[in-house]
Amino acid sequence: MFKRMTVCLLVSLLFLGLLAIAETAVPETPGAQVGGTLTIGVSQTFKDLDPRIMNSAYDGYVTGQIFDDLIVLDPYTFEPQPYVAKSWEVLSDDRVRFYLNEGIKFHNGEDLTAEDVAFTFNWIADPENNSPNFTELVWMQEVVVVDDYTVDVITKPDYAPFAPGFAQETQSIVPKDTVLAMGDEEFNLHPVGSGPYKFEEWKTGESLTIVRNEDYWLTYPNLDRVVYRPIPELSVMMLELEAGGIDIADNMPAQDVVRFQEMTGRSVAQCPSMFCAYMFFNLQHAPGNDPRFREAVYRSTNIDAAVFSIFQNLTGVRSYGCVPPAIWANDVPYLRDNVALEEDDARSKRLIAELKADGVIPEDRPLTVYCPLDPRRTQIATIIATNLIENGLNVIVQPLDWGPYLDLAYRSESDPTAAELDMGIIGWSGGPDPHDFLYYLFDSDNATVGSADNLSWYQDPEFDAWIKEADTTLDTARREELYVKAQRKVYEEIINIPLYHYIETRGLNDRVQGFLISPLSEMHICDPYHNVWVKSS
Amino acid sequence: MQLLFVLFGLTVLLFLLLKAMPGDPAKVMAGIGARIETIEAIREDLGLDRPWPVQYWRLVSGIFNGNLQAMTYHKPVWTVILERLPATIELGIFALIIALFVSIPAGLLSAIYRNSPLDYAVTTTALMGISIPVFWFALMLMMVLGVTLRVLPVSGRGLSVAVPYLGRWSFVTWDGIRHLIIPAVALSSVQMAMNARLTRASMLEVLQQEYVNTARAKGLRERVVLVKHAFRNALAPVVTNIGLQVGSLFAGAVLTETTTAWPGIGRLMIEAINRRDQAVVFGLALFMAACYMLSYLAVDVLYAYIDPRITYD
Repeated sequence: MFKRMTVCLLVSLLFLGLLAIAETAVPETPGAQVGGTLTIGVSQTFKDLDPRIMNSAYDGYVTGQIFDDLIVLDPYTFEPQPYVAKSWEVLSDDRVRFYLNEGIKFHNGEDLTAEDVAFTFNWIADPENNSPNFTELVWMQEVVVVDDYTVDVITKPDYAPFAPGFAQETQSIVPKDTVLAMGDEEFNLHPVGSGPYKFEEWKTGESLTIVRNEDYWLTYPNLDRVVYRPIPELSVMMLELEAGGIDIADNMPAQDVVRFQEMTGRSVAQCPSMFCAYMFFNLQHAPGNDPRFREAVYRSTNIDAAVFSIFQNLTGVRSYGCVPPAIWANDVPYLRDNVALEEDDARSKRLIAELKADGVIPEDRPLTVYCPLDPRRTQIATIIATNLIENGLNVIVQPLDWGPYLDLAYRSESDPTAAELDMGIIGWSGGPDPHDFLYYLFDSDNATVGSADNLSWYQDPEFDAWIKEADTTLDTARREELYVKAQRKVYEEIINIPLYHYIETRGLNDRVQGFLISPLSEMHICDPYHNVWVKSS
Repeated sequence: MQLLFVLFGLTVLLFLLLKAMPGDPAKVMAGIGARIETIEAIREDLGLDRPWPVQYWRLVSGIFNGNLQAMTYHKPVWTVILERLPATIELGIFALIIALFVSIPAGLLSAIYRNSPLDYAVTTTALMGISIPVFWFALMLMMVLGVTLRVLPVSGRGLSVAVPYLGRWSFVTWDGIRHLIIPAVALSSVQMAMNARLTRASMLEVLQQEYVNTARAKGLRERVVLVKHAFRNALAPVVTNIGLQVGSLFAGAVLTETTTAWPGIGRLMIEAINRRDQAVVFGLALFMAACYMLSYLAVDVLYAYIDPRITYD
């Protein structure tokens, strides 16, 4: 799933009313060797290399090295830090001024200036351009050039406290003149950025190569080149990692984690992710709109055991709420101890019988648990459905390819089966702010026919008001209080059943040094926090 | 003329199948959370909002005049296909060569030494070749040759050289040949087994013909009898089978290429289906079908060469 990351990164700065001034520099890595090739195995083929239209985390592995971002998030604290912008200043509730580093050059020798920054963000935010990243900048009105190295970001009044999601690979800065000269399609195939590595060659389906930018403004990148190899079969990717054909595997199945942890010369890097999987109910009609039904489903299954059987706690862990444990306001202890329901087959059976007697559960058709064709989501759907059948519910599991699943889940008017959408399993990724989860998954704004992210179709004015207030207040403590309240409400009402969070997992060859895995699911090789190098063999 | 009718029917059938394929391509391209306006704009841009006959004509005319743009590759469909075609051609030819060089001598020897340990070894191996799934066989080859023995690279395509107007070819480099071995052996396994069994059966049948006895009675050397009289006549069904296999190599390549991360048109087909790139799926399916038809045609022509009794009016 692609990432939506509307990062609320300046809130703390706004709250403190500070002008951020910091040096942009890469920490020294003692003993680092310069030279060599790093080969990275990637689970999917690449699609787009223009950050403005790119919406896949896999494409982001590459564009993150070719382009620079306005600011960067600290991979440990998620605090915004200087990057292309050396500092910024809050001028008013709806205006933030960014001061850019001078002397940054694109790979073709052009200077990176305020014009390029404004062009990039205004292009994405212009609905006429139909950028898939448009929704990540809905809070932004315009970027205005003040002088060659200064821009003002004007936000919508309602979103005044929100800072730009400028630390994302989908908002990396592109060279205006080059894009206009090359055209969008050509630029997408032969990108020119200002990042630590330059685009060299893209053999579609085979490999993509980037080489060191000798004139990189921030530091001297350690590697001569980085080769990305799409390897769709995970089992083959593991064989490649074992044989030394790749240095980094971007993914790893649970059954291989321990093997690679114990293997000489290989290791496994892990950290919490920003992903949550959950089971949603269709609140638009019965039986999903009856809280007794939702409780009966929840009570039918030991979610801990189900998640453990799939992930063995190696690549995924039980979730108690959509906000991942890695970020603030997650409220995990409370949700786990007070809200999550234990398996109780007797109660589940009783509720199902009661719902049948009341005519809430339709007798003329089986209920359906929809899920995408992902083995893990299919497995957990099957476990829940099996338990429900044992408790007396006529239910089937229907895995669907991504396209038809979206049609169904979004309630596309063209899809006649949407009316029979009872419940489904799906996942969601966001940035390091609770807004990215609670607003998109539960707010009424996102219960829209054709592109609903609020798949349950939950519409509660009180909840919406809390989210709205949290999204527009400067007080972080108040925001946290509101987000916590909002979570407790939706999970006490069992609007969805939280299932699991992935653990970000990368397989590494020990020759790789300085690699840092981040919950932000990025694959940074060289930036203010990394400068990966490889030991010569 | 018959080929043209078949091609026309095929375009209609393919178009209907694409339309029956679940999932809105515009929605898949726009991604989760996209605005309705964005989805509509993509649909309009790709012509998916037009009536079916218009969409059909756009696909067919675009394929034949070369102007049809891939929906997600930012290039014309033919460019996308031709970029990936050399990888599949070299894989297919290598697989065919391996299959022929192993299976025909094996089948021949198996027939000559009927019911000997050699015969049993060939027939048993052939049975295994047919029974073992290609992807599993490929994984085993990778594990043994790539990981345990470390004599061959596990997957992917090796160093390739760009030839003007003809794309990139890897069989001209040593690294390329090393990368070719595992996918080619995996892809050839079924063909190898089928050809060996067919050659054996065909030879056994021919060896019982009276003209073979006559040749032996004339005092011809056994080698001449086997090669000149028996083998040539036993070859006709084998050639038919090989001709059909040329077409099926493209279909088989879908599985082998996906398993071994081989960047050919088989894997492109899977990618395009996953991306709902109807233009590429349409072009590729049509191209593969045309390859099938041409291989059938080639078999018919070859028949006349192998068996002079056959003539075409």
